[in-house]
Amino acid sequence: MTWLRSTGWRHLIGLATLVFALFPILFVISASLNPSGTLVGSNSLFSQLTLANYRNLLDDPMHPYAKWFLNTMVIGGLTAVGTVFLGACAAYAFSRFRFRGRRTGLLTLLLVQMFPQLLAYVAIFLLLLSLKDVFPVLGLGSRLGLVMVYLGGALGVNTYLMYGFFNTVPREIDESAKIDGASHAQIFFGIILRLVAPILAVIGLLSFVATINEFVIASVVLVDPDKQTLAVGMYQFVSQQFSEHWGVFAAGAFLGAVPVVLLFQFLQRYIVGGLTAGAVKG
Amino acid sequence: MASVTFDRATRIYPGSEHPAVDKLDLQIQDGEFLVLVGPSGCGKSTSLRMLAGLEECSEGRILIGDRDVTRLQPKDRDIAMVFQNYALYPHMSVAENMAFALKIAGVAKDERDKRVRDAAKLLDLEPYLDRKPKALSGGQRQRVAMGRAIVREPRVFLMDEPLSNLDAKLRVSTRTQIASLQRRLGITTVYVTHDQVEAMTMGDRVAVLKDGVLQQCDTPRHLYDRPNNVFVAGFIGSPAMNIRDFPLTQNGAMVGDTEIPLHREAVAMAGREGNTVTVGFRPEDVDLAGDGQPGVPVEVDVIEELGSDAFLYGHLPGANPLEDSPIIARIDPRSTIKRGDTVHLAIRPHHVHAFSPTSGERLPDA
Ligand SMILES: Nc1ncnc2c1ncn2[C@@H]1O[C@H](COP(=O)(O)OP(=O)(O)OP(=O)(O)O)[C@@H](O)[C@H]1O
Ligand SMILES: [Mg+2]
Repeated sequence: MTWLRSTGWRHLIGLATLVFALFPILFVISASLNPSGTLVGSNSLFSQLTLANYRNLLDDPMHPYAKWFLNTMVIGGLTAVGTVFLGACAAYAFSRFRFRGRRTGLLTLLLVQMFPQLLAYVAIFLLLLSLKDVFPVLGLGSRLGLVMVYLGGALGVNTYLMYGFFNTVPREIDESAKIDGASHAQIFFGIILRLVAPILAVIGLLSFVATINEFVIASVVLVDPDKQTLAVGMYQFVSQQFSEHWGVFAAGAFLGAVPVVLLFQFLQRYIVGGLTAGAVKG
Repeated sequence: MASVTFDRATRIYPGSEHPAVDKLDLQIQDGEFLVLVGPSGCGKSTSLRMLAGLEECSEGRILIGDRDVTRLQPKDRDIAMVFQNYALYPHMSVAENMAFALKIAGVAKDERDKRVRDAAKLLDLEPYLDRKPKALSGGQRQRVAMGRAIVREPRVFLMDEPLSNLDAKLRVSTRTQIASLQRRLGITTVYVTHDQVEAMTMGDRVAVLKDGVLQQCDTPRHLYDRPNNVFVAGFIGSPAMNIRDFPLTQNGAMVGDTEIPLHREAVAMAGREGNTVTVGFRPEDVDLAGDGQPGVPVEVDVIEELGSDAFLYGHLPGANPLEDSPIIARIDPRSTIKRGDTVHLAIRPHHVHAFSPTSGERLPDA
């Protein structure tokens, strides 16, 4: 009884949370294996098991799932890497250099990030439309263009988050490296980036997940089915009334979640505390 | 190896009017161990960082050897610095920490390893070469920071309070180690501390700073025996010198009911400014006056026993012991004086320092 009161309740709460988190996943897996194709038909979990939905998903020439998958991975990956790199560069500058407009710059970032990117999508659409005429690589319908939009949109929050983390790395480390003869680039890549690895992993992961889930802007920018992302493409499975393919959709969603989980497992090892322990006598 | 010259070097931090370092003029000889000392916030670190190139000079110049380095980047100055908090690279092992500068300078791996091993041997760091800084004790980290500076074989060592994070005992032993290491390597060293005992024991010369202004730069002996002004007199020495204003007489100062003779010129100069003079005497320059001999009466407040010495803290009769700074005298630790006694102190006349009561400058004594 005392065990229950001191530690046991934690296990109970943990168990409840686990059920809460796992149930939707189980439901999706079950639906993806259920040939009926409707959501209501899947209500009894794992009543029927077939791989038909997966076969349909990959064979449908009207809905090139494999291409979407690849597009999503490339766009998500590029956005994540780009966001981390740009954010880290900006955060390093804000944290370490003293220049005119530094405070204003930080404040502007903070304000701009409060403006939801969603509201700007008409502007983004028009911008990319005219960009298409002069610089088609980045114009409407281009995947690279979409990446650029994502990079710009995410810079504010991420720079601010990283800026805070960079400030926890003692400046003396930079100064000591400077005296040891290191250039700014050597300090940045060789020392600072190693010490802020946790925030890089977090930002990279968040940015990847956000990009994969992003729908509104991607659906505006990418019109050619071959260039679409998973979120945009798979929406077609369930958007037409009376021909909703929930089973196929669930199969696609399940496959799409796999890389995110893998990436998380990979990045998890970098999300640790105490990297700067031992640098300075606290 | 090189000499170092501060030529009217000034640093005004952005947003502040008062210079953190004000027209610092200082020549440091080749191979010399110079200690910068002063109370907190007096500009010691700033001076050192100006020499390192981490702070700009607002005015004036800094020379290393004959080369004007005022506008040079830190890496072009050929200096090594030990930071107060060590600033080790936490993701590198001890060996990598020490080799970092050599690696950047493009020194070959064999040579690098050799120099790291030599420095590690010198500092007793050999067992720890593969460890990360976080697995070291404070004292070991301090030695790694030293080692990182030593392997560079720079022209000048800069050290900013490298011992302040160590415990008292380790501080004393490391102090001696650093001083003897510097003598052995013969590298010009500028050492910052706020601890005047460290300053006195380690430095060839000691520069005393206050509010960014250099007060005096001299050998420890000279600094102790002939302080330039009241500030240096009070700062150097522990316990501090007894300093206070006394009425001026024909030939000196009236301390209690005894007259202490001062130099003729000192009396004349103080006389032009008023009718008092600031007199200082060290606790060890005081004897207990025997019965019937003249002496300053002092009521004893506290006796501080240090084993080899004892110090008497007291006040002049009529003075408030809580407000006035106490009069301190070194006494025989086996004496039987107790709290509340009144003793008579005889001040050794040739060990008295006289200062101007207005400017605080030393008055002539010879
Ligand atoms: N970055 C800065 N910006 C503005 N003022 C500063 C800055 N750094 C130091 N100061 C001021 O300059 C003066 C000298 O500072 P400095 O760090 O040189 O003192 P210090 O002698 O090293 O003191 P401590 O013994 O406490 O380390 C102080 O009054 C401090 O407030
Ligand atoms: Mg300091």
